[in-house]
Amino acid sequence: MLFFRSEERVNEWCRDHGIPRRPILSLQQLWQLAVAWYDTRLTPEARRPKPEEMRRIFARIGLEGPFWDPESDQFD
Amino acid sequence: MDFDTRVKAAIYRWFADTTKAPAAPEIAVVLGEPPGTIRDAYRRLFQKRVLFLEPDGETIRMAPPFSGVPTQHRVQVGDRSYFANCSWDSLGIPAALHREAQVLSRCEQSLEPIHIRVTREGPRTAQVVAHFAVPAAKWWADLVYT
Repeated sequence: MLFFRSEERVNEWCRDHGIPRRPILSLQQLWQLAVAWYDTRLTPEARRPKPEEMRRIFARIGLEGPFWDPESDQFD
Repeated sequence: MDFDTRVKAAIYRWFADTTKAPAAPEIAVVLGEPPGTIRDAYRRLFQKRVLFLEPDGETIRMAPPFSGVPTQHRVQVGDRSYFANCSWDSLGIPAALHREAQVLSRCEQSLEPIHIRVTREGPRTAQVVAHFAVPAAKWWADLVYT
């Protein structure tokens, strides 16, 4: 998960490295993801979200489809 | 609290306080336990996907969002400077610490510096995006590249 100045820079990087162009997140979406994942990370009760929780977190941020499905087998 | 949870909490506290990954003997001193017992807990936490260990089976490479090795993602929180594993984790550090931060990274294509001010409400810089190259189902299998 890398930073870029713009979507155009992402497209150039994918082309230059022969890597498929995959989802691009705004900084605000990335922050929502960071809070959902890490807000309680320093508490003893913290744990990795289970697949169903992950789907709910992603959907709340507008991230849906096989790419965001932790149990998808649609990618090599 | 079970033993592995105590070890996990001590690891995260150590990272937050020192910015560095703790070696098993350091956590052994904190918890008053033998180093071998702590090493065993590290390995169990790796199997549970709480930690990511180096191939030696005992050095912490990642305790997300913290990185045990230098990366291009630096996160300044007060007078402490952390390394994050990726763009997501660079925002994850202020989210986990509940502190304001400055994220210092780079555009991976142009290599120009990226500087993001993060307040308690979130990032204040607009002209940055993040690309997710690896699908969610593959994150753990390819964690270093992810």
